[in-house]
Amino acid sequence: MRQGGLQWYIVRRLIYAVIIAFGVVTITFILLRLGPSSPADKYLANMSARTQDPAQVITAIEARYGLDKPIYQQYADYLINLARGDWGWSFSTSMPVMELIKKHWVYSFQLIFLSMVFSAVLGILIGVYSAIKQYTKTDYLATFFSFIGISIPNFWLGIMLILIFSVQLGWFKTYYDTGLPMFSLANLKALVLPVITLGTGMMAGYTRYARSATLENLRKDFVKTARAKGLPEWTVIGKHVFRNAILPIITIIMFDLSGVVFGGAYLTEIIFGIPGLGRISFNAIFANDYPLVVTITLIGAIVVLLTNLATDIVYTWLDPRIRYD
Amino acid sequence: MIKEISKKVGGLRNLVFISALAALVIVLIMDIYTVDSILEPLEYFYILFAILIIRYGLYPLYANRRLTRYYWERTKRHRLSVLGLAFIIFLIATAIFGPFFTQDPTKVNFQEKNMPPVGFTIQQSVYNLETEQFVTREIQGTSRHPLGTDDKGRDMLAMLVSGARISLQVGLLATVIAIIIGTFMGVVSAYLGGWADNALMRFTDIMMTFPFFLLLVFIIFIFGPSLAFIILAIGLTGWTGTARLVRSEALSLRTREFVMASKCLGVSDIRIISRHLIPNVISSVIVIATLSIPSVILAEAALSFIGLGDPTVTSWGMVLHSGQRSLDTAWWVAVEPGIMLFLTVLAFNFLGDGIRDAFDPRSQL
Repeated sequence: MRQGGLQWYIVRRLIYAVIIAFGVVTITFILLRLGPSSPADKYLANMSARTQDPAQVITAIEARYGLDKPIYQQYADYLINLARGDWGWSFSTSMPVMELIKKHWVYSFQLIFLSMVFSAVLGILIGVYSAIKQYTKTDYLATFFSFIGISIPNFWLGIMLILIFSVQLGWFKTYYDTGLPMFSLANLKALVLPVITLGTGMMAGYTRYARSATLENLRKDFVKTARAKGLPEWTVIGKHVFRNAILPIITIIMFDLSGVVFGGAYLTEIIFGIPGLGRISFNAIFANDYPLVVTITLIGAIVVLLTNLATDIVYTWLDPRIRYD
Repeated sequence: MIKEISKKVGGLRNLVFISALAALVIVLIMDIYTVDSILEPLEYFYILFAILIIRYGLYPLYANRRLTRYYWERTKRHRLSVLGLAFIIFLIATAIFGPFFTQDPTKVNFQEKNMPPVGFTIQQSVYNLETEQFVTREIQGTSRHPLGTDDKGRDMLAMLVSGARISLQVGLLATVIAIIIGTFMGVVSAYLGGWADNALMRFTDIMMTFPFFLLLVFIIFIFGPSLAFIILAIGLTGWTGTARLVRSEALSLRTREFVMASKCLGVSDIRIISRHLIPNVISSVIVIATLSIPSVILAEAALSFIGLGDPTVTSWGMVLHSGQRSLDTAWWVAVEPGIMLFLTVLAFNFLGDGIRDAFDPRSQL
C-alpha cells in the first residue's frame, strides 16, 4: 500500500467528518426554529408560576438568549457558542449543560460499554460455534434463540427481568443504586439486569451475523487449502475463518451504535433509574429544559460520528486488502 | 375521450390511479379552505395508503397471477413465515373489527381494578371502610374481563385491541412514508449522478449520524405528541437505509441495456425512473419494508412507554407504562401488552425473512 494514499484518505475522512458535524448542528438548529413554540415559550412554561407580566418576561428572555436578533445572526451565534464549548444553561437543574453531562455521562458509558462487551463476546462465540456445528441441534437452538432475542422488545424484557428477579425472587434491587463506588462488585451486580436488557437484542443480532459470516468463510478455498495442509482444526478456525469473519461484524457493531444502542440505553436507563444521559434527557423533556435535550441529541450524533470515523481508520489497519487511493 | 387520455398516461389503471390521487388532493385543498374539516389528518394517510397498496401491491399481484403463485409457493416453503402471515392477518382483523366487540378501553372503574385474567387468583389487600382496616381478599378472574383489568379498572382486552389498531397504523403508515421517501431519494440520486447524487447522499449521511431514537424523541419534544405527528416523524427519519439500498441497486440498473436503449430513444428522465428503475427495485423495497415494520412498531411503543406517545389513544406502550408502575400488584398489566408486541414483531420478522428468500433467486430453500 502506498503510504501517501493512506494519509490522504485519513485527512479526507477528517474533513468529511467536520462537514457532517456541521450538517448535524444545522439540522438541529432548523428543527428547533421550525417548532411551534420558541425556546422562550418553553422557558416561560418552565417558570410560569413566578411570572407577573408574561410579555415582559418573554422580551427579557428573548434578549437574554439572543432570540430578537435576525435568524442568520442567531445561527452564527449558535455555531460560535457550540465551538467555544458553551452549550447552554440547563433551566431545570440550574447549571451549565456541560457540567451536567460531565457528571452523568459515565453512567451511560458503563452501561453501554458492558452491554457491548457482553453482547459482542457472547454473540460472536455462539455464532461461530453454531456455524461450525451447522445443522445440528445446537445450531437450531442458537438460531431459534437469536430469532427470539431479535424480536423481544428490550424495554419489555427489562420489565420482565425486574418482575421475575427483583419483585418475585428478590435477587436484585428494582432500582439502580447510585451510591455505589464505580469499580466494585456491588455496582457490577446492580448492572446485571440492565446489561442483559440492553445486550440481549444486540447479542442475538451478532449471533446471526457471526454465523453467516463464518459459514461463508468456511466454504472458501483458503480454508480447504489450510485443511489440506493438515493444520489442526483449531488453527484453521481461529486463524483463517475467524479473522476474516470478524471484519464485517465489527462494522455492524459500530453501526448498531447509532441505531440500536442509544435508543436501547435510553429506555434501559429510564426503566432501571440509572442516572445516565438518557435519564437526564428524559427528565429534561418533561421539565421543558430544551438546551439539555438539544445537547444530548447532539452528543449522541457526535459519538456516532466519531465511532464511524474511528472504524474507518481502524479498518485501514485491520484489513490490508483495502486500497485508499 | 377516456381512451385517449388513458393512452397518454399509460393505460386505464394509471388513469384510475391518478384520478384517485387527484380526488384526494382536491378534498385536501377544500379541507384547507373550509371551516369544517371533511376528513381527519390521519384519514388522509389511510386513503393514500389504500390507494398505493392497491396500485402497487394488490393490482400487480392480481395482474400477474402466475408470478404471484410462484412467489407464494416460495414463501410457503418457510413454514414460520406462513405462521407470521397468519398472525398478521389475525391482528389486522382484530384491529379493524375488534373495537366493535370489546368494551370501551378508556372506561375507568375503580370497583373492578387489578382483576387478574381468567383462571388466575390473586391476594389483594383492600381497605375496609367499616372496620377501618386493610383486609386481604381473594380475587378471581371473571369472564367479564377475560384478560383482567389494570390499576384503574380498565379492561385489558379492550386496551390490547385498541393497541393493535395503533401499532398497525403506525407500523404500516410510517413505513410507507419512509419507503416512499427512501425510494425516491435513492432512485433520483442514482439516476442523476454528479453533484445531485453527492448532495442527496451527504444529506442521507447526516441523517444517519443522528441516533434514530434520540432524533425521534427530539422531534416529538419540539413538535408535540400526536399520533399523526408520531407517524410523520418516524417516516421522515426512517428512510435512510432504504435510500442507500435503492441507490446501490439503481446504480447498477442505470448501466443496463434497456435503460441505455430507452435513453437513446429519447425517453424522458421521469419516464425512465418511473417505468424502468422503480419497478426493478420494488422487490428489494418490499423486503426492506417488511423487515422495517417491526422497528417502527417498537419505536412507537417505546415512545408511548416513556410517556411521549399520543395521550388520547390507548397503545401497547402506554399500557406497558402503567404496567410497570403496578408490577408488584398486577403483573399481567405489564406482561400482556409485551407479549402482543413481541408476537407482532416476531411475526413481521418471520414474514420478512420468508419474503426475502422468495424474492432472492440465489437463495436455495
